[in-house]
Amino acid sequence: VAVGDAVPRQVVDHYENPRNVGSLDRNAKNVGTGLVGAPACGDVMKLQVEVDENGRIVDARFKTFGCGSAIASSSLATEWVKGKTVDEALKIKNTDIAKELCLPPVKLHCSMLAEDAIKAALADYKLKQDPNKEESEKKA
Amino acid sequence: REQRYSEQHSSLINKAYRTLLNPLSRGLYLLELNGVEPAQETDCDADPVFLTEIMEINEKLAEPGNEDILEETETLIKVKQEELTKEVTTAFERGDLQEAKKLLAKMKYFANLEDKLKNKKIPS
Repeated sequence: VAVGDAVPRQVVDHYENPRNVGSLDRNAKNVGTGLVGAPACGDVMKLQVEVDENGRIVDARFKTFGCGSAIASSSLATEWVKGKTVDEALKIKNTDIAKELCLPPVKLHCSMLAEDAIKAALADYKLKQDPNKEESEKKA
Repeated sequence: REQRYSEQHSSLINKAYRTLLNPLSRGLYLLELNGVEPAQETDCDADPVFLTEIMEINEKLAEPGNEDILEETETLIKVKQEELTKEVTTAFERGDLQEAKKLLAKMKYFANLEDKLKNKKIPS
């Protein structure tokens, strides 16, 4: 184990006390589900959001199988999206997550995975609201 | 000095042997030799059915130890790994490196599951 491998306190916190672990009803119209994987390390991450009629995210859950940084990133992501509108949540960047968790360079891809999971969940939600918009949305 | 030289080479040989013995690392090495980088970016448009399957197997493994489920899962993982190894071999034989790359990415997920299962079997 190399020097500098010390796990940041924030990561340990999210790992030992993960917030929002679980599932939402993926069949509900106002629930968006994002399922992403990181092929290099084999981590999988599922992130779900529940959106109210005003376009605000009222609940979020995650299930991640992977390293502590991946779990912490997705845990933090679910905390951050709650209370935000869909458009606000789309602005969450992996760099913000990485900074908050003090992720070392070798674990930056974990925060990227979390950002992708958020986007995938929101894209799924949007698709459910208006399937006909799929073609124009794909270009975004 | 000669001893250090021998040690380094012996260590290299061990590493080479281990790399070539395991189908996943062997496949990734072959990709590297052909100038193809293994899959790096997040799989956003990766087969959702595949990722769902990986999630489900992970969830099964996370459940408190039930011997039968563990055995069933172990068999499932082995079968999948054998299938994938065959498909990777075919892809390489055809010279389809992009397909090999995709399949090796899938094998990585199963390699992780295999490790998790091994850890479950070790009494803590």
